[in-house]
Amino acid sequence: EKWHMPTPYGDGNLPTQIAYTFAQEIKENTKGELDITVHSGGSLVKHTEIPRSVKTGQVQMGEVFLGILGNENPVYKHDNIPFLATSFEDAKKLWEAAKPAVSKQLDKDGMMLLYAVAWPAQSLYSKDPVNSLADLKGQKMRAYSPSTSRLADLMGTTPTTIQVPDIPQAFSTGIIQAMITSPSTGVDSQAWDYVNNYTDVKAWIPKNIIVVNKRAFRRLDKATQQVILDAAKHAEAAGWTKVAARAAKDKATLIENGMVVSEPSPQLLKELQAIGKTMTEEWKAEAPKEVGEILTRYQN
Amino acid sequence: MDMMWISILLAFAMLALLSLGVWVSFTLIAIGGLGLILSENYQVDLLFATSSWGASTAWSLTALPLFIWMGEVLFRTRLSEDLFKGLSPWLGGVPGKLLHVNILSCGIFAAVSGSSAATAATIGRMTLPELRKQGYSDRMAIGTLAGSGTLGLLIPPSIILIVYGVAAEVSIARLFIAGALPGLLLVCLFMGFTMIWGYLHKDELPNTTGHEISWSARIKGLRKLLPVVGLIGFVLGSIYGGITTPTEAAAIGVTGALILAACTGSLSRHSFMDSLLGAVKSSCMIGFILVGAHFLTLAMGFLGIPKALALWISGMSLSPMELILYLTVLFVVLGCFLDGISVVVLTVAVILPMVQAANIDLLWFGIFIVLVVEMSQITPPVGFNLFVIQSLTGKNILYVAKAALPFFLLIGVAILLISVFPEIVTYLPTTMSQK
Amino acid sequence: MSQLKEKLYLCSGLLSGLCIVVITLLLLAQIVGRLCGFIVPSAEDFAGYALAASTFLGLAYTFREGGHIRVTLLIERFSPLPRKIQEGTILVLSFCLLCYLSYACSYMVYESYIYDEVSYGYIPVPLWIPQTTVAIGVVALNLAILDALIMVLRGKQPTYSEQEDSLSLEEI
Ligand code: NA
Ligand code: NA
Repeated sequence: EKWHMPTPYGDGNLPTQIAYTFAQEIKENTKGELDITVHSGGSLVKHTEIPRSVKTGQVQMGEVFLGILGNENPVYKHDNIPFLATSFEDAKKLWEAAKPAVSKQLDKDGMMLLYAVAWPAQSLYSKDPVNSLADLKGQKMRAYSPSTSRLADLMGTTPTTIQVPDIPQAFSTGIIQAMITSPSTGVDSQAWDYVNNYTDVKAWIPKNIIVVNKRAFRRLDKATQQVILDAAKHAEAAGWTKVAARAAKDKATLIENGMVVSEPSPQLLKELQAIGKTMTEEWKAEAPKEVGEILTRYQN
Repeated sequence: MDMMWISILLAFAMLALLSLGVWVSFTLIAIGGLGLILSENYQVDLLFATSSWGASTAWSLTALPLFIWMGEVLFRTRLSEDLFKGLSPWLGGVPGKLLHVNILSCGIFAAVSGSSAATAATIGRMTLPELRKQGYSDRMAIGTLAGSGTLGLLIPPSIILIVYGVAAEVSIARLFIAGALPGLLLVCLFMGFTMIWGYLHKDELPNTTGHEISWSARIKGLRKLLPVVGLIGFVLGSIYGGITTPTEAAAIGVTGALILAACTGSLSRHSFMDSLLGAVKSSCMIGFILVGAHFLTLAMGFLGIPKALALWISGMSLSPMELILYLTVLFVVLGCFLDGISVVVLTVAVILPMVQAANIDLLWFGIFIVLVVEMSQITPPVGFNLFVIQSLTGKNILYVAKAALPFFLLIGVAILLISVFPEIVTYLPTTMSQK
Repeated sequence: MSQLKEKLYLCSGLLSGLCIVVITLLLLAQIVGRLCGFIVPSAEDFAGYALAASTFLGLAYTFREGGHIRVTLLIERFSPLPRKIQEGTILVLSFCLLCYLSYACSYMVYESYIYDEVSYGYIPVPLWIPQTTVAIGVVALNLAILDALIMVLRGKQPTYSEQEDSLSLEEI
């Protein structure tokens, strides 16, 4: 059988590379019975249409950035609450805590969770060095969602919407002076061309999830289903190991190209953690029961 | 069924429907549906709806109707007439005369707009009626427009460079800078060709200037250009002054055009409505063709035809120059039937690894891709500049394509030149990294 | 009756034009917002919806005005009777295609409604609302094709081809 699996990001990205390995492993272990074609970089289906395509069975599998599902249900937002889980260890723990709620929500929409791949932690890119929030006061920071907008507000900056492709030009023409994104994105877009400072605040660790259409999965025989589940387990494990190495490598690339990469000052860290607390509370208020459960599981 | 037979069947079905007089957009949708069924994918309805919704809400396309509207507004002012009056004392003595207005205005407007359809539509709306009125050869007027409209993609900003930059992980800022010199090169090639043509075909140009034009007349002419220059300067200034992003610049352009029209007294309720309905006609036509092209692209993604062709090339172990040659042919052939940007999206995952293996600079390759995509904009049956110009003039696609053929070949010359002298592409970006 | 039809076609064009104006205003608001330090929430989403609405709502008007382009090179050489048969055939084919697309787009709206699909940006917009314009536009185009088909069956020349002819006459 031939399956199609659209992914949102290009071949250089870790989640896409893992997707290729995942598809390859399934093909080998089913002796070619299940052949999954990975369509990377949104080449088959646009990122925002991938959830719908999997849900309705237009494609059998797909990968999606968890953050874009935030509007559908607050449980998806665990993925981008700043300063809640800032190390890979914590992020893994938070993911384990959120997984039952996420799976339940996906199941309601006719999808099944296969595995997740984390991105390196989101950190602060800025025109000028930042030692405390006072250094950012009044500057314009990129925001692309309600939560990044709120974060910009709390950091004393003006949230400004800029589309990803416009980022380099927005920095060089002074539309924005700061943004929070992962070192990988910085390397991909050659951030050193337009911005100088990288402060490794590790705001949050977002993930891509890979889902399969429930009906398509059920139609497979038990043995094939097991092959997929095993491959998913391997992919998730590989994801957590490789992302740490990737983060270190990307940070090194930023330094190599002349960016000033620094650890956050204790003062900045303290200020940011306070913001994290506020935003966690606000998140909890959105759905006290579900979010409360996730937080209890995470904090114990 | 074998993939080769499916490809041949689809190509023939497309040509048959088109020559029967079925509308282009309907044809693309029908062929896309046929392709999906042949790939044994029977959810044609769901896929059509999802793909159309995705294609028609794309943020990068929002600028298109606005630029078209801007052209419609300017067409109804005295601005286009002034543009010609202002430039004719300068260009009157140059072989090819005012045909150069097409090339130069496209080159300048390309710095504002990121798409070639928008460039051809906006500039053509202003220049074509005026050139026809003054008795210039239709064929050359159309050819220069079709050719130089493609500059919209090469001179920054550019939609296709953004698509490529994201896919290949090459800095978009560098790609934009790399496009500048090749853009100038194309302008020179086009103008050079037009001069030679003008020199050889004096009988097809209006016979206006036999006498020397005084410098005072030239300076006077410049004054007439002030509003146009002011408008373009205003839009460019707002992009590079950090006020807008290139997509939003279209809104500034329309607003500026409306203000100019109001100041020169050519804006009335009637002309406003007329310009808006004119824009509706062109942008709905282009928009629905884009919807069809996107659906066909989706079917190609499922069928994997472009990917298979690219894989076939990668299996041949070619030298870098041969690889470039084969890829040019591949893109030109695919570009006849698919929209150029779609070709890039569908093949980039296979092509990039082989380009890297051949040690070809990814930055250089991005500009190469733009040039071949530009060629695909003016090849029939599916070429967006051809569609735009057909709707502007009522001339048949094949007539427009024939008129554009010399310019198609000139872009080929440009590809040859950047292959032999890659510095044309790489020089400016290297100066950038030494800052 | 025919007056009402005229009005509906014009309405299709004007609604589409209105959407272009809306896009312009949204983008301007975003520029002003950036200068003054406020955010126009989901401006890109709304501009995208207006773009889709503009493209689809204007389809019927554009069709009637002969705005959708096609290759007439071969068919304009046909003598009157074969030409009538050709126009009739392609109109029937197009009508069938559009019936299917009308169904597909309406079903998309229905599905978004029952799945409670919302947009991903600042404001969670229920997607069936903007998608309705797509369905309406396709259905309107479908009716416009039916209108042209009826004209051809009655032995008259369809409006779009009158427009095509006048364009090419003007140019020769
Ligand atoms: Na451009
Ligand atoms: Na073409």
